[in-house]
Amino acid sequence: MNKTIAYSIGIAALLLGLWGFFDRLVYGDAHAAYGSFVVWGLWVAAYFFLGGIAVGCFLWGSMDLLFDVPAFKGIGKTALWASLVTLAAGLMAIGFDLGHMERIWKAYLQANLHSGVAEDVWGYTLFGLFTLIALYQMVKGSRPAKVVVILGFMTALYVAGAPGKLLGVNAARMYWHTALLPVQFLFFALTTGAAMLMVIYSFWGTPSKAEQLFSVLNRATAVLLFVDLYLVWAYFGQGLAGDMPEVANPIHAVMSGHPFLFWVVQIFLGLLLPMVMLAQRKTALNSSLVGIMGLCILIGNMVTRYFILVPGQQEDLIEGLSTAFHGHGYTLAYAPSITEWAVFSGLIGIVIIGLLVGADYLSPMCQCNKSQKEA
Amino acid sequence: MANVQEVSPVQKAPSAPVESPATTGQDVLVRMKKEMETAAKKKPEERRWVMVIDLRRCVGCHACTVACISENKLPPGVVYRPVIIKEKGVYPKVSMEFLPRPCMQCDNPPCTEVCPVNATHKNDEGIVVMDYDQCIGCRACIEACPYGARTYDFGHAYTDDTPNGFDFLVGQKKAEVYERNANIEYGVKRERKGQASPVGNVRKCHFCLHRLTAGILPACTTTCIGRATFFGDANDKSSLVHELIAKANVTQLKQELGTKPRVYYIL
Repeated sequence: MNKTIAYSIGIAALLLGLWGFFDRLVYGDAHAAYGSFVVWGLWVAAYFFLGGIAVGCFLWGSMDLLFDVPAFKGIGKTALWASLVTLAAGLMAIGFDLGHMERIWKAYLQANLHSGVAEDVWGYTLFGLFTLIALYQMVKGSRPAKVVVILGFMTALYVAGAPGKLLGVNAARMYWHTALLPVQFLFFALTTGAAMLMVIYSFWGTPSKAEQLFSVLNRATAVLLFVDLYLVWAYFGQGLAGDMPEVANPIHAVMSGHPFLFWVVQIFLGLLLPMVMLAQRKTALNSSLVGIMGLCILIGNMVTRYFILVPGQQEDLIEGLSTAFHGHGYTLAYAPSITEWAVFSGLIGIVIIGLLVGADYLSPMCQCNKSQKEA
Repeated sequence: MANVQEVSPVQKAPSAPVESPATTGQDVLVRMKKEMETAAKKKPEERRWVMVIDLRRCVGCHACTVACISENKLPPGVVYRPVIIKEKGVYPKVSMEFLPRPCMQCDNPPCTEVCPVNATHKNDEGIVVMDYDQCIGCRACIEACPYGARTYDFGHAYTDDTPNGFDFLVGQKKAEVYERNANIEYGVKRERKGQASPVGNVRKCHFCLHRLTAGILPACTTTCIGRATFFGDANDKSSLVHELIAKANVTQLKQELGTKPRVYYIL
């Protein structure tokens, strides 16, 4: 994709986002559509999604930086940069979601480490630090210290599943209360990390490097997509077979309440189509097609995260509770507000611009060329 | 005089007024008030505040909900004690069932463990409290509560859509004065100003802790027109609640989760 077009899209998204950021910072949560039942909405889904990409990019980057897999040689710097950019956007998403973001320091200095939220805060912070150190060392021209990458790898594995655990521990929400969630989140992270690298290398990478990378990454991603599909089937299939209303109702709401988003975007565009396309050897030769498949995976996965997060909160904890009172946010219904969409747009804009700036000024791709030249 | 000791509120017909076994003819509130005075002399950790709600007596008037909103000056969307209404049966044989749902003040609360900054915890008296100045507004506790007993303060006011007029006389600025006035939850006066706490915080029922401290029953208890809500120190063996929770027809919500609620329902 032409960088000018990408920049234009990124800037437009960010401009819309700036209004959202302003609205959130000045008016607080007043214009958000989440409430006291659907407590976590679009921003939390975006945090899971972007945090997952960050972790996934790092894990793929470690194929180069830690395991020295030949097909991935030279992607380390790009992967680390993509990881940092998406992590920053993800943390912004969760920051905007907090009622008092200015008190986030309390999660470091006065933390309750039994809490999943505190674990996430610490986990993502450590992960971000290791990523930053590794990238800094690469920008300085040296290979990142093995110990930093190993620590980053370990924290990445932890934070990949941590949001799944955060949801899964809630015995009050039966739709989430399954050990499948952390596993799902780990595989989603790997898949979306791969998809992000596909997008970067297909649109802005050097063709020869892209082809070399895609020859392995495509098939690995096809396998991951199959696992993702299997996990979605296991999650939904188990819930439907059990037919417990608290679990089955949200699944029915997803499958029949949002047929286009679920069947077309999440299942077909996000899983089946890229799985079939990427499994074919010749697809690796068509860089643009790989990039489009990467985009499809990313969009599909964002929908997947949303459908894990939101419907689980749309069941009454006690029958009739949601209609026992009326007031702002006291409802099971949820559709993101304009402010929420604007902030989300801004975050996507930041990711796009961040990746482009990285490509232009930090030259994350240059190492590929350099290593190729050396080879 | 009949042996009133044997007459318990639970055994009486639902429509009859609940009388204190020890003081026949006296409103049950008087007995509970006296028990509050006894409890006030104890150390906080020696008290075990318990609420008992007689579902047979609840008429679904929502007086407790309104009293709570008024007492704690709750903004739109924030509610500590909604009354859930359920319709039972099939026409023409139908009836209504009412379930007031305060915070259960669980002895094993799932909401406190998930707080990343220890902003919510059980105090010495076993009441699950919020520290508004500590809360970061992540809302994990709302997700964790199996009773939906926590709501989020978005910073709205009932006068939000009121048109502006002459500030000194009518219009939004004049009307919102009452709403902006400080409440006294947890014994701290907090004016509603901008995004300052409790805006952006999670809020919940605390059994009117500020009233308990002064030896006064919770607002929902004193307002209940059917005398369906009882409150007191269950550690006091002569107390009404101690007597009530021992009955066979008493239950708790979602006991299977092991949360050990301190709110009991008489069926």
